[in-house]
Amino acid sequence: MKTKIASFIAFLFFVGFLFVMILPSQYSIHLPGEPVRDDDVFKESGQGKTENVRTMDDYFLRNGQQETGSNNIVTSVVFDYRGFDTLGEGTVLFIAVSSISMLLYQFLKKKKESVVGPSGFSPEVSRIVSYAAFLLFPIIVIFGAYLVIHGHLSPGGGFQGGAVTASGTALLLVGMLITRKSYTTRKILGIFESLALVAFIGIGFAGLTTAFLYNFMATPDSFMNIMPFGPNNGDLTSAGTLPFISLAVGVEVFCGISIILVALYNMTKADKEEEKEVKEES
Amino acid sequence: VVILVAAVVSLLFKDLLASVVTFALLSLLLTIVFFLLDAPDVAIAEASIGAALTTVIFVISVKLTRRREE
Repeated sequence: MKTKIASFIAFLFFVGFLFVMILPSQYSIHLPGEPVRDDDVFKESGQGKTENVRTMDDYFLRNGQQETGSNNIVTSVVFDYRGFDTLGEGTVLFIAVSSISMLLYQFLKKKKESVVGPSGFSPEVSRIVSYAAFLLFPIIVIFGAYLVIHGHLSPGGGFQGGAVTASGTALLLVGMLITRKSYTTRKILGIFESLALVAFIGIGFAGLTTAFLYNFMATPDSFMNIMPFGPNNGDLTSAGTLPFISLAVGVEVFCGISIILVALYNMTKADKEEEKEVKEES
Repeated sequence: VVILVAAVVSLLFKDLLASVVTFALLSLLLTIVFFLLDAPDVAIAEASIGAALTTVIFVISVKLTRRREE
């Protein structure tokens, strides 16, 4: 009874907190859909005006396209202005993958290459599932690659693209298309993940003459030129270092999540095999 | 509203596999909401991570442990 009352009071607090959060936001923060508050300044000056900029997001919306050359402001914030934060996220993912590998090491060490399943379509799963996975996997990979490569032009970016591609890996696992050589698969993926993180940090150090993760390529006269202000079609070779960072993050996320999935999947297989062995012994 | 219903139902299910499926449904609805709120970035992330990856990981963990909640 006491716990029920306590949980009810906590729920009331939560709802009240939500209301307190929502009510002032109606007045102080601009509504979604109208990003810039004083449109007059925006229209007159057109670009690159730092006066009359009251808040951080107004600054990003006005100067982001000019400074980074990216049509997608979200990507320019994630990979340029807050690039260090993104590096931290990548490191967190890397540590998570390492710790999972460490935890499952005892299980997976026993059967390095012992899983000798049939290559190709396995009889254990329904034909429909495995064929559908086989057909859908390239489409998902292409969509993920598009998200990664076009991250600075259209909605998307490294994290989303990597996650989408990793869900393709999950599909392959469901369709039992990765049955052999899981150990080698994980090793290759691990190498690529580490390489991607190193590439991210390397790009960061390349701009060190000004600052860590400085977007040194986004200058008008360089190879990676910036774009004119306002809505435009956009070039793939714009936005300076953003596409490279996006690619690095995408590869890292894809490989990391794939390692986790393959390792966990092999855990279930290992359990089954142990059960079989026990049955045969008894 | 449907999202809230899905969340509550996924909490109440004793069968953990059904709970996982409801959770995936929640993620899918949340994706639509994000898209309607003009945030396609977040919608893509939610669709891939919420609807696909967490579902797979939960299904694997349900397989490794018991299926029923006690």
